[in-house]
Amino acid sequence: MINDVQTWVSVAAYTGAGLAMGLGAIGAAIGEGYTAAQANFAVSRNTKLSGDVFKSMLVGQAIAESASIFALVIAVLMLFYKMPDATMIKAASLLGAGFCMGFGAIGSGIGSGLPGGQACIGLARQPSIGNRLTTNMLIGSAVCQTPAIFSMVVALMLIFIDFSKAPLFPTWAAVIGAGLSTGLAAIGSGMGGGFAAGASCEGVARQPETAGPVTTTMLVGQAVAQTPSIFGLLISFVLMFKAFPESTTFAASAGLLAAGISTGFGGIGPGVGNGMAAEGAVRWVARSVENAGGLMRIMLVGQAVSQSTAIYAMVVSLCLIFVV
Amino acid sequence: MKEIRETQKKYCSLALVTAIIIGFFLIIAGQSSLGKGLILGTLFSSINFALMGEVLPHKVGKSRGKTYLISLGSIVSRYVLLAVPIVLGIRFPDRFDLITVIIGIFMVQLVILWDYLKSAILLTHRKKI
Repeated sequence: MINDVQTWVSVAAYTGAGLAMGLGAIGAAIGEGYTAAQANFAVSRNTKLSGDVFKSMLVGQAIAESASIFALVIAVLMLFYKMPDATMIKAASLLGAGFCMGFGAIGSGIGSGLPGGQACIGLARQPSIGNRLTTNMLIGSAVCQTPAIFSMVVALMLIFIDFSKAPLFPTWAAVIGAGLSTGLAAIGSGMGGGFAAGASCEGVARQPETAGPVTTTMLVGQAVAQTPSIFGLLISFVLMFKAFPESTTFAASAGLLAAGISTGFGGIGPGVGNGMAAEGAVRWVARSVENAGGLMRIMLVGQAVSQSTAIYAMVVSLCLIFVV
Repeated sequence: MKEIRETQKKYCSLALVTAIIIGFFLIIAGQSSLGKGLILGTLFSSINFALMGEVLPHKVGKSRGKTYLISLGSIVSRYVLLAVPIVLGIRFPDRFDLITVIIGIFMVQLVILWDYLKSAILLTHRKKI
């Protein structure tokens, strides 16, 4: 068995491609399945509108699957692109790219399906505002894709940046950590954004005249829910671009890997939690629009508190990178 | 399903026409690989969207578990199809530019977003008048 560097780069590229596409398909399939399941409910509620519900479902699913198309692009690039620099660091960075894109697409896939499903139900409830409802759904779904876009950007950087001049130890751990940081943190933000967007479609269908304040609250809530994935992105950039001195001790490598894991896992809960806070606010703004200002304040305070654990995780990551 | 066919026809033709017009100007400007890449990506994006619509009636009316299974099967088969233009972009960079192939793959989604956002902007503008 040939055991040279080129072989290891190929092994990493194939494994990374499998991880990117395999994990990436999970989110889109769940999101699309959720939309279809809600379409069942909508059609059974108002059978005359089955054509419109199908149309809404098709458009919603087309946007929802964008995250897994990002994963497909990364997977195919890793499978067929001839890497000019075959080094062991490149092997590690390809593995990191696979983790980053695979995990990063899960949340956005699931999250984007939620507004699609709610739009189908809303359409059965309020057929006259179908266009407004679909616009709202599309805006919400598109914002849900942001964490997957961050993941794709980091994955592309890991594939194409030349790390060959950096020392193998501990850079191998830094590049895998960079992939894990953005990829894992994106899960929570993608799902959280979907909660807010789903509630927004539900709210617009209940009270069409509140569409303006509902959409504004949704966008603010989604923007805050994206913060944990921005923390993940920040740690990934530090791990990719900081010049680490050569160190063959296992502790130095473990520290950088742990930095990525800390912000990655640490971002999942706050992303989901922030989305729940936004979902509640959006739902109640639709029912009580005169209290929109107060509801938005409560949402932002709740999200700030929910965010704190992601900040702790980021502080620990920064300590692991710069202090330990 | 008349509505699905109309939606597919509308967005697929809009995406293809947009890609062909942009591609035509790119080819005239001497950027042949950019233009061809965009058209190739958009063509496969449209086929993907058309296949998506064909699967839709099979998803509705089934249990949640079956719906998930059909969704997963549909995604995997359509993604194998979407991989074709990317592989062509990587293997033949002189004929198809990889970046424009990737942009083309998202052309249907971009057209859908643009169509609804344009309607929303026009509606707001009319209300102000």
